[in-house]
Amino acid sequence: MYILSPLNILALICIGIGLFFMVVGAVGLIRLPDFYTRAHASGKCDTLGEGMMLIGFILYEGMTLISVKLLLLAIFIFISSPTAVHALVNVAHSRGVKPWKKGDERQ
Amino acid sequence: MIVIFAILLIFWYILSGYFDLFHIGAGIICCGIVTLISGDLMLRSDRSLIQSGRVFISFILFLPRLMVEILYANLDVAYRILHPKMPIDPDILIVDTKFSGDVLRTAFANAMTLTPGTVTVAVEGGRFTVHALVRSVSEEDLLQNRSIQKRLSRIFGEGP
Repeated sequence: MYILSPLNILALICIGIGLFFMVVGAVGLIRLPDFYTRAHASGKCDTLGEGMMLIGFILYEGMTLISVKLLLLAIFIFISSPTAVHALVNVAHSRGVKPWKKGDERQ
Repeated sequence: MIVIFAILLIFWYILSGYFDLFHIGAGIICCGIVTLISGDLMLRSDRSLIQSGRVFISFILFLPRLMVEILYANLDVAYRILHPKMPIDPDILIVDTKFSGDVLRTAFANAMTLTPGTVTVAVEGGRFTVHALVRSVSEEDLLQNRSIQKRLSRIFGEGP
């Protein structure tokens, strides 16, 4: 029988938290009313979700070269994801997409 | 130039993982070409190496605090998304700062995008246009308490 080590359990917990935030991000894309608020959901939840999943993979993998690559990937995502969201929102703002206000109809 | 070459070469070996003659040779050739073409992009020539290193290290020191903020921001957004009534009140705010460095502005914009309820929309000089998910909370954070601004200016040694 295969027994999980404490490190593997920790890795599974991290991956589980990451999955939770990814799912919440997807739900937010459907539920939130307009472009800007959807950018909030995808920008924040996806960043943390991917980060937690990569940390889980690092814990599962142990001290190997693959872990170093995964760490670099996590750092890259933490820098590039907010930048990408900012680029999207910036273009929408300069093109005159009206933000949703409380009490408006859903778009 | 030599520093950039060394950084690129270390990066090459981390990514390749092989240490035979072919891979070492290919790495030296590739890193040499990249250094020749775009060596002046990574480090600015008007700053000394020690200054660049200090900015880089201070940015690394800023990361743990940012992680905590990100976790809090995500829990907040997750709560608002999953709440049946969705307690959101979005609006656009304008935050004026005296930040002047590129790294500092980038750090502030990224930090704001990842911290509770705000996405940076546009940056013109020191003026940041911000879309806030909940107006009252973000107004308090960004315009009255200015906690992110204070922390960043302490780390980078520039006025808030």
